[in-house]
Amino acid sequence: MRGILSVIAVATSLFAGYLDAKEIDFNRDIRPLLSDRCFACHGPDEADREADLRLDVEEVAKESAIVPGDVQASELVARITIEDPDLRMPPEESGKSLSPDEVELLTRWVAEGAPYQQHWAYVPPQKHDIPEVEEASWPVNWIDPFIFDRLTREGLSPSQGADRVTLIRRLSFDLLGLPPTPQEVTDFTHDETEQAYELLVDRLLESPHYGERMAVYWLDLVRYADTVGYHGDQDHSISPYRDYVINAFNRNLSFDQFTREQLAGDLIEGSNIEQKLATGYNRLLQTSHEGGVQPKEYLAIYAADRVRNVSAVWLGATMGCCQCHDHKFDPFTMKDFYSMEAFFADVDEAQHFKVGGNSLPTNRPPELELPTDEQSQQLEELNNAITACEAQLKDANEETKAPLEERLKELKSRRDDVKRSVRRSMITVALAEPRTVRVLPRGNWLDDSGPVVGPSVPEFMGRLDSERPTRLDLANWLTNAEEGAGLLTARVMVNRLWYLCFGSGLASDLDDFGGQGHPPVHPELLDNLAIEFVESGWDIKYILKLIMMSRTYRQSSLDTAELREHDPLNWLYGRQSRFRLPAEMVRDTALAISGLLVTKIDGDSIRPYQPEGYYRHLNFPTRTYTADTDERQWRRGVYMHWQRQFLHPMLKAFDAPSREECTAQRPRSNTPLAALTLLNDPTFVEASRVFASRVLTEAGDTTDARLDFVFQQALSRNPDELERSVLTELLNRSRADLQEHPDAATALLDVGLAPHHDDLDPIELAAWTSVTRSVLNLNETITRN
Amino acid sequence: MNDLQTILNRRTFLSGTGVGLGSVALSSLMNNELGAGMLPHHAAKAKRVIFLCMAGGPSHLETFDYRPKLAEMDGQPMPASFTAGQPIAQLQGKELKCQGPLTKFGRYGESDQEMSDFLPWHHKLADDIAIIRSMVTEQINHDPAHTFMNTGTAISGRPSMGAWVNYGLGDEKSDLPGFVVMTSVGGRNPQPIASRQWDAGFLPSRFQGVELNSSGDPVHYVSNPPGVTMSEQRRLIDAVNRLNAHRNEQVQNPEVATRIAAYEMAFRMQSSVPELVDVSDEPQHILDMYGAQPGDGSYASNCLMARRLAERGVKFIHLYHRGWDHHGDLVRYMNICCGLTDKPTWALLTDLKQRGMLDDTLVIWGGEFGRTPMFQGKGGIGRDHHIKGFSMWMAGGGVRGGVTHGSTDDLGYNAVEDVVHVRDLHATMLHLLGINHKRFSVPYQGLDMRLTGVEESRVLQNILS
Repeated sequence: MRGILSVIAVATSLFAGYLDAKEIDFNRDIRPLLSDRCFACHGPDEADREADLRLDVEEVAKESAIVPGDVQASELVARITIEDPDLRMPPEESGKSLSPDEVELLTRWVAEGAPYQQHWAYVPPQKHDIPEVEEASWPVNWIDPFIFDRLTREGLSPSQGADRVTLIRRLSFDLLGLPPTPQEVTDFTHDETEQAYELLVDRLLESPHYGERMAVYWLDLVRYADTVGYHGDQDHSISPYRDYVINAFNRNLSFDQFTREQLAGDLIEGSNIEQKLATGYNRLLQTSHEGGVQPKEYLAIYAADRVRNVSAVWLGATMGCCQCHDHKFDPFTMKDFYSMEAFFADVDEAQHFKVGGNSLPTNRPPELELPTDEQSQQLEELNNAITACEAQLKDANEETKAPLEERLKELKSRRDDVKRSVRRSMITVALAEPRTVRVLPRGNWLDDSGPVVGPSVPEFMGRLDSERPTRLDLANWLTNAEEGAGLLTARVMVNRLWYLCFGSGLASDLDDFGGQGHPPVHPELLDNLAIEFVESGWDIKYILKLIMMSRTYRQSSLDTAELREHDPLNWLYGRQSRFRLPAEMVRDTALAISGLLVTKIDGDSIRPYQPEGYYRHLNFPTRTYTADTDERQWRRGVYMHWQRQFLHPMLKAFDAPSREECTAQRPRSNTPLAALTLLNDPTFVEASRVFASRVLTEAGDTTDARLDFVFQQALSRNPDELERSVLTELLNRSRADLQEHPDAATALLDVGLAPHHDDLDPIELAAWTSVTRSVLNLNETITRN
Repeated sequence: MNDLQTILNRRTFLSGTGVGLGSVALSSLMNNELGAGMLPHHAAKAKRVIFLCMAGGPSHLETFDYRPKLAEMDGQPMPASFTAGQPIAQLQGKELKCQGPLTKFGRYGESDQEMSDFLPWHHKLADDIAIIRSMVTEQINHDPAHTFMNTGTAISGRPSMGAWVNYGLGDEKSDLPGFVVMTSVGGRNPQPIASRQWDAGFLPSRFQGVELNSSGDPVHYVSNPPGVTMSEQRRLIDAVNRLNAHRNEQVQNPEVATRIAAYEMAFRMQSSVPELVDVSDEPQHILDMYGAQPGDGSYASNCLMARRLAERGVKFIHLYHRGWDHHGDLVRYMNICCGLTDKPTWALLTDLKQRGMLDDTLVIWGGEFGRTPMFQGKGGIGRDHHIKGFSMWMAGGGVRGGVTHGSTDDLGYNAVEDVVHVRDLHATMLHLLGINHKRFSVPYQGLDMRLTGVEESRVLQNILS
């Protein structure tokens, strides 16, 4: 780690050399410098503004520090070049500095007239002409010329198309989060028709597992979890919301309607049950009923949490900064923050301070009860019986009274049992009287001196024509492309869809479209996609298909020396990306390959094996984790019980977030703890032994045939000679060891609840379990490329 | 562990022409990827930290902060001038009256440090520790208060101090994680403690704290599956690594090299962790000194383990002892908690000292907050949560022993002299580790994030040796 600063210095200076030859682009080259080095003191935040100078507003800057075209007369240039360290900007105590190249760049910019541009994210997207490219046969659809053109201008060429096996694996992971079966691979690779690829995309988009895959991403954004998060971290009732999300993606609910239903489904005229469940969104944040919490403080905490999430999910904005002060880099003010809070001031959420309780699940009214037909019927029958019993009791004499009372007690207890087993889900109910929202000075909830604010959208983005706009008005504004923030929302969302298809966004900061986020490398493409998204009727499947049909998506992910050298991070998309699967998919893939996967959609959260005692630090109440003992054990990761304070160690080892805040992009770590998990977690060991029993029962009798089977299941290909020999050697040596220690085989085969194949030779099965275990641990198995 | 690899990959940047990113984008990217950079900023006094967190909030008024005036006022109404408009936890809406100290204090050591008789073994440490009697924090409920103590803010998603230290100083070649956490119980019904307290936040997740468990696998999944011997596991990992390396000849994915290294490290951990937790090599007099019964998960055993971790190069060792939340029956529970922690704490410092390790090991003791000078009676006499003044201590690694820093007012309510904010504690800790807290930052969401945040914070110069 040492000596890194010099590396960066070299990198930036080389980079500046590159810039010499190019035109200065304000949003790409200048704004990031001004934002990072200057705006903290000379930017939007009035309270901290020094010397009454702001550089973020062109007119104001050019009235004072910048004289366009006149470097000598520009105080900005003087102050960044002056020798005297007391006068030089940025000041030393800011911890910021400008390199000589950056000084030169700013000077050149002033000399060239200091042209400003509005911040790219707040300029509504415009439709751009599709570039004409020489290689007319390369583009499949209009996405491709943008990519090709840029590559050509950088002197680069796109990559070859990926082979068909890679394509079907890529599509399966991207759209379903599952590997393809060998049969699916064969069908696709043998389909010679022109439409084969498109038909495959269509088929995958129609799979019910598509919704599960998309939900994994959405649930990170909205911080869905099964527990309250604070203090006792009790379970709360919310899994029907998760099912709503899966279902919404599966039926391709338009994104604008998806937005409306989550933020304000309860306010939609004649809203149905699904729309009411959708409003669980407003209840996903962390809550507490710890003894000693002050409701006023926690309502302030909840409100701020909500503003952070809404602004991150829909606007790609970091409004959280404005809880205490105007934004340092973007034009959001404190008033905007609290006005955004005010939209949600009608959310009924204070009841739990009184009735929360340390039960599992705890109470978080208002909740919607969702009895099954059977439960409804049982309840009706029990209610009738109770009514009848009560009537009889009225006429009872001394003799008949006691047995009737006994019966009534029993009936009521049975009814309680049924009621308890009914699924519930937190929803939004609007209070008749919304809470008063004030601007809290420095975010201090004890300070009531700030002005009262009503709901309104960030001032610089427009306003709503209504005396007291509602959550529904907000949702409509967020998705109104003509008069609201719709095109910005669209840009944020298509950028994330692109990320799901390439592993990186066109704008790389998926959650910060502000001045400190990196501007997009392909702004025109992003614009056109955003407009297309709106024009398609906010059709997510349509956009995904559009991207996946492109030649750009279908490229090989193999690095060439040229691309690695010129575009190591693949900002130009001259190839596809390769990256480790998200945590849930690592699980799902092992289960799918082994044949254990249970593909049921929806339901209560499930509990896979987990190290004993992992919840011992939880209290109120103390917690004992009981792993599921039925088919729920082998369901997909998206259904795993999400304990915020102690996320399942497998999920954690593979970078799943605790879902306390919005996560738009998970890190992709590569650690010893992840290795230990994949090697030793009983879920993976069990999958390996079940996989091995499939090898012995479904593949041929020769080692070669069996290895082919293993590789086809896991990697959709046959092993090469070296792979064959490494695994054959592993098999033979394991077998030899096991023959000397047959009890070791029994112990290994006893891992997990999946039924045993008693007819199979345990030594052979255990030896093959070594092989399957090693294959489940391969980088290739858990990598999408 | 893939920093070096990352640097090598990123070197391709240097030879190339780059693409159309702004230079800020590029340099922040490099910063993000490449860890803490030029550390240490100055010569370090301490190489590692052992943080003894007394979770629940021990009473400063019965440990290190004797307030005679409070004794005088015992039973009288608490003057409203202290409490008006102040945050308060369970005493909301209750009558507030003074509660005098519930035990005696004395002066100990050559330095004459004042301590209560709940802590007889601490008396022997009087000349080793620097007592801070003027701590303040900003969160009054346990969970957010721990978050505040660990991350410097109550906002979720920020790295804990252990993760920061591990990020800055961790040796990624070590066979053990650089940041290890252990938790023990005993005392009043223990408050929960969330794993977010040792999270890496926006730092790469490999810097997060790893919990060492007293029962079951000491580290999750560190044991082989049943029936799998170490030689079989070795063979399997060899096969995996060979196949990965072979495949990588075609795909040339730098992640694969990292994964191979991760599997090697995983295997080494499968030996180093059991070796770490096997205390059979400790002589009986050492076990007796701590009062440790191997495998009992007690604070005493964890203190012994802390020393073993320190010896093995772990950079941040965080012990939680829960049970200090004494809303009622304070005397009884103080006896229990001090009974479980007082002697082992002494043993840890003494053991470090006799091995010459206290000089470069910073030890910090304290809770997430203190307790009210006001009476609370939730089952016998007790005290509520209090954040405006409480006590902690620091020792070893560049700290001057035998000093008392700061003080609260006559009633032990507000820290009034040399007030020490949590940020100051962090700044001091980093300073001793050779890190300038103002220069130790990571770009995240457009900000240069620091453990000490943006508010002023200062190093406590007068407790430095």
